[in-house]
Formats: sequence, C-alpha cells, structure tokens
Amino acid sequence: MIPLSWYLVFSAALFSIGLFGVLARKNAIAILMGVELMLNAVNINLIAFWRYLTPTQVAGPAFVTMVFATAAAEVAVGLALIISAYRRRNTVTADEIDLLKG
Amino acid sequence: MLLEYLPILILMILALVLSILVIVLGTIFGPHRPTPRKGLPYESGMTPFGPGTRRVSVRYYLVAVLFILFDVEVVFFLPWAVVFRKLGVFGLIEMLVFIGILLVGYVYAWKKGALEWE
Amino acid sequence: MAAGPFNATMILAILPQIGLLALGVLVSILDLLWKENQKRNLGWLTASGLALIMVLAGVFTAPAAQPVLVFGGMLRHDWLSFVFQMIFLFGAALTALFAMDSEPLSRKGEAYMLLVAATLGMTLMASAADLIMLFLAIEMTSIPLYILAGFIVGDNKSTESGFKYLLFGATTSAVMLYGFSLLYGFAGTTQIYQLAGILQQGQFSTFTLIAVLMLVLVGFSFKVSAVPFHFWAPDVYEGSPTPIAGFLSTASKAAGFAVLMRFLLVVFPMTEHYWIPLLAVISTATMIVGNTLALAQKNVKRLLAYSSIAQAGYMLIGVASVSPLGITASVFYLTAYLVTNLAAFGVVTIVGRSTGSDELSAYAGLSRRAPGLAMVFLVALLSLGGIPPFGGFVGKILVFAAAINSNLIWLAVLGILNSIIALYYYLMVLKVVYLYRSEDENRPLAIPRSWAIAMGLCVVGILLLGTVFGPWYQWSVTAASSLF
Repeated sequence: MIPLSWYLVFSAALFSIGLFGVLARKNAIAILMGVELMLNAVNINLIAFWRYLTPTQVAGPAFVTMVFATAAAEVAVGLALIISAYRRRNTVTADEIDLLKG
Repeated sequence: MLLEYLPILILMILALVLSILVIVLGTIFGPHRPTPRKGLPYESGMTPFGPGTRRVSVRYYLVAVLFILFDVEVVFFLPWAVVFRKLGVFGLIEMLVFIGILLVGYVYAWKKGALEWE
Repeated sequence: MAAGPFNATMILAILPQIGLLALGVLVSILDLLWKENQKRNLGWLTASGLALIMVLAGVFTAPAAQPVLVFGGMLRHDWLSFVFQMIFLFGAALTALFAMDSEPLSRKGEAYMLLVAATLGMTLMASAADLIMLFLAIEMTSIPLYILAGFIVGDNKSTESGFKYLLFGATTSAVMLYGFSLLYGFAGTTQIYQLAGILQQGQFSTFTLIAVLMLVLVGFSFKVSAVPFHFWAPDVYEGSPTPIAGFLSTASKAAGFAVLMRFLLVVFPMTEHYWIPLLAVISTATMIVGNTLALAQKNVKRLLAYSSIAQAGYMLIGVASVSPLGITASVFYLTAYLVTNLAAFGVVTIVGRSTGSDELSAYAGLSRRAPGLAMVFLVALLSLGGIPPFGGFVGKILVFAAAINSNLIWLAVLGILNSIIALYYYLMVLKVVYLYRSEDENRPLAIPRSWAIAMGLCVVGILLLGTVFGPWYQWSVTAASSLF
C-alpha cells in the first residue's frame, strides 16, 4: 500500500503550486484556479487522513463534501464578480484593477 | 512491493500497443479518398463558421453557474440515500427542509428571469 | 453521533438560526411578490424581523450555566456564542435600517436576503464547535459579503471592491482550511473540544503545532483585518456601499474575533507561550499601521477603514492577555465598537447620499447643515477615540487593564500611545465638521426616519455602555467564563 506520507507530500506540493499561482499570476481567473488547486490539496489531505487513520468515521468524507460544495459556490460568486468587473473595466488583470488605493 | 504494480504496467503497454495497432492497420487497409472538407482540422466535415476562439455569450455563463449550483447540491442526496432507512422520518423531514430551501432559490432565480434566454 | 434522538434543547439552541433562515426565505418570496414601490419596506421587515429574533432568542435561547454540545457536537450552546449572536443580530438590524435609504440597496430584496444569510453564517461561527461547521460558517458569512461588497454592478469602485474582497478572502480561507485538514489529520477528529486533549497526548513537535496555528491564523487575521492581512480593508470599505462597509467593519470583525478567541484558547492552550508574544506583536503592528496610515487620509470612509484596523489591534490586546479579564475586555470592547462604528458609518452614509462624496471636504459646515448629525458624529468619533463618558472609553480601560494584569505592560503602554495618535485624526475630522464653513451651509440635510431610529439606538448604546456599564460588563464576564 502507498504510504500516507506520499499523499501528504503530493497534497503539499499541490497546495504550494496553487498558492504560487495565486501570488504570481495576474489574471483574476488564474488566481481563482490557484485557489481551487489549494482547496483540492485540502481535499486530498482530508481523504488520505480519513482512509489511513479513521476509516470508520464519517468526518473525513463529510468534510470533503462540504469543502467542494462551498468551493462551487465560491467560484460561482467569484466568476460573477470577475465578470462584473470585466464589464466595467474590460480587463481581468488584477494589477490593472487599481482604482482604490492610498 | 513494486510487483504489485505489474498489472498496471501490463495494462499500459497493452493500451499503447493496441492504439498504435489500430491506427497503423487503419491507414494501411482503409480507403483513402480525401476531400478538402474532410481535411479540415475539426467539425467532422461540416463547414466551420467563425474563428475557433470566438467569444461565448455571457448568457451561457449564467446558465452554467445555475447548473453548477444546483448540480453540486445533489452531492448531499447521495449520502442521505445510502443511510435513508437508518435515518427514518427525521432524515426525511430534514431532507424536505433542505429541498424546500433549494426550491425557494430555484423559484427566485426563475422569477427573476435568470432562466430566460433573452 | 446518533442522528435519531432529537430534543427540544437542540431546537431551542438554534432558534436564532431557524429564525434567520425563515426571515431570509420570507424576504426572498416577498421580493418576488411585492411591487417595485413597496420594496423599500423590505428594510423595515428585515430590521423588525431581526429585532423579533433577538427578543425570541433572549427569551428562549439563553443558555444554561453548563454549556452543551448540540447536533452531534457541531454547535456549542454557551454564553460566549449567545452574547455574540446578540451582537450580530443587533448589528444586522441596524445595517438593514441604514440600507433602506442607501440608494443602491434600498429596493433590492437580494441585499436584505444576503445580509440575513451573512448574519446566519456569523451566528454559526460564534457557536461552531467542529472544524466542518466552522469552515462552513466562515464561508457562509464570507460569500454573501463578497456579493454585497460588489453589489453596485454599475459602479467601478464597488465591483472592484467585491473583486478584491473575493480574491483575498478565498485565498486566506483556503490557507486556513489547509490548517484545518492538518489538524484533522493529527487528531483524527474534527471536534474542536476534543482536539486539544489529543494534540497534547500525541507526540507532535511544538514546531508542527505552531506551523498549523499560523496557517489557521491567516484566515482569522483576514476576518479581523489584522496586520499583515489588512490590505483589503481600506479598498473594500471605500468601494462597497457604505452600510455594508459598516457591517463589514463591525459584525464581520466581531465574528472573526469570536472564532479567534475560541480557537486559540480551546485548541492551542499548550502552545500559549509561543502565540501570546506573536499575538502581542500582531496587535502592536495592527495598531501602529492602522493609526499612522489613517493620519494621511482625506477620504472619510478610508479614514474609518484604517481606524477600524487600529481598533482590531486594541481588541487583540485583550485576546493576547489570555485571561478571563482579557476576553471580557475584548467582548465589551467589541460591543462598544459595534454601536460606535455603525453610527460613524451611518453618518458617512447620509452625508455621502446627499453630497455624493465621501471626501473630508464634503463635511465642511456639517454642524450648521445638520446639527443633530454632527452631534452623532461627535459622539461616535470621541467614543472611537476613547473619551469618557462614551462606550469606547470603558472598553479601552478594560483592555489596557487586562494587559497590565497579564504582565504585558509594554503592550498597554503602546496601546495608550496609539490611542493618543488616533485621537488626533478623529479631532481633525471633527474640526472640519464644526469649524470649517461651506457655501451650502443653509441647505439642511434630509434625514430619513429609519436612519434616525438606527442612529438613536446607536447613540443610546454608546452612552449606556459608557455610563451604566454594569450589566454589559456582567454579560461579557459570563461570556468569557465559558471559555475557561
């Protein structure tokens, strides 16, 4: 059987890639995709921990279900906000949306 | 320990060999009558219209978002259905409340015109 | 964990949540049925509904002396959650009243529905006793608030503010969630009240625990807008509709604090020696950054945003004190801050509505145009600055006393110095309001009734908290005691 740590390393890598995407990318949609990667890393963590440590309890899968249902809601709202910003400004580049500062 | 993965390796090799075999056999034995339309990269012989990267109407987006939201809620039905008998009437009522709230959301979206195409 | 047994305590414990859900559904149905010119009444409906829920909750939901876990350990019904729920409901009711006369929100059923949904999320945040519930509650609060911040789709600033709030919020909550997943992995349970025991028994290095704590703190610091996760606050407050900015800076922040207190004290008591200094440093940085940046602001909404960052710093002093007195002080401070800041944002709403500007120059001659309004602003700003006999003063005294009691004298001294700096810019604003003249002086400002009611409630609240503080202090003490 694959050891638990492999999953954890994989998930940590995925999380870091997502975080890097959030911090480095300028396109708002790419940033949201980075967030989704981070959430998926969380899900892998949860499922791996559940399968290896507490396979008889439901907390792990229940948590995962909640995470991806909320992720869907978040991304729906996120895209809606990005579109409404895009309609006003004709750009999805986070750097160019800079009316508010000071 | 790596031996456990042998079946997967065999499967991958089989898949590779099979797909190469099918393509090779097809090109050798199949009829070869090209027409300009068939030579187009996609759309299976239909005349393509517009560039492939054209913009999609924002209305698709609204439909897609509504779909995602109601689609994801279905995930909560599966665990409920699995233990339906164990939960009994209590579970049924809880699920009815859940569906009721979803239904209000659905009617709201409907009445607000989110389902109209125009 | 059995699903079947079901008793009256459980239902009574979530009475406010059931009420909020019913109110949200009712508002959305009436939004469909009512005609355009009736829809302003949705604001009255929402506000009176929230007030009714407060009364019902006060009568039926008051927790017993012994805290109970309900719904399979998902929620904890104790005084801390009860007091915070009352704070959120009160804040939401006032926000609904302010929203009624704020042009972009007043006739939109969605706005009230989202407000109620966010409040529902907050009440769950305050009582969540399980990582799953906590995450769900935080998202339930954040997602409606993202929409509300970007609510005015025809306005560049508002869409931008929603956009920024979402990007920061989604990222920080994903980082926090990663921390949650590791906590679940270490302990094998998602129950917050079991985590501490298991983490203590297990052979986890302090380093690992601190790392997880940091991940979780990212999400909480975002919610309370503490340095270094405060960047979003000024931009989001400036761009979003003013009543919503007021709600974000008070109720949403209070919800963040409710979670922060519970989580730090219940899950991480064993690493206290590490996070107390950390929290003290965050608190200092938050106060200094908020106050120094506020000094340079010419836009009143931005100024209040930086001031509310600084206020989070003072409240963090109470949490960093980690004593019953410290938590009491923070809860009391939050209550005083809620009424005060809502009043301040209320004034900004009304001035912005009539002059179309949030710049400081628009406030010149306000004392002649609307003496009552100027008076409310005076009370609110002096309370924020910590001048007796207003609520903010008692809050500050309690917080500093808690710090001194817990041997964080340097923190108390820094806090006092910061309050003096803060007083400078509050007085600057008041100088413009009272001493500057403008050409529009003889044109009085229109003040709608709903606004006057909300404002009156705020001012009474500020004065009560500053003078007859006994009962509120007792409440805070009881709330704090359920954490120790």
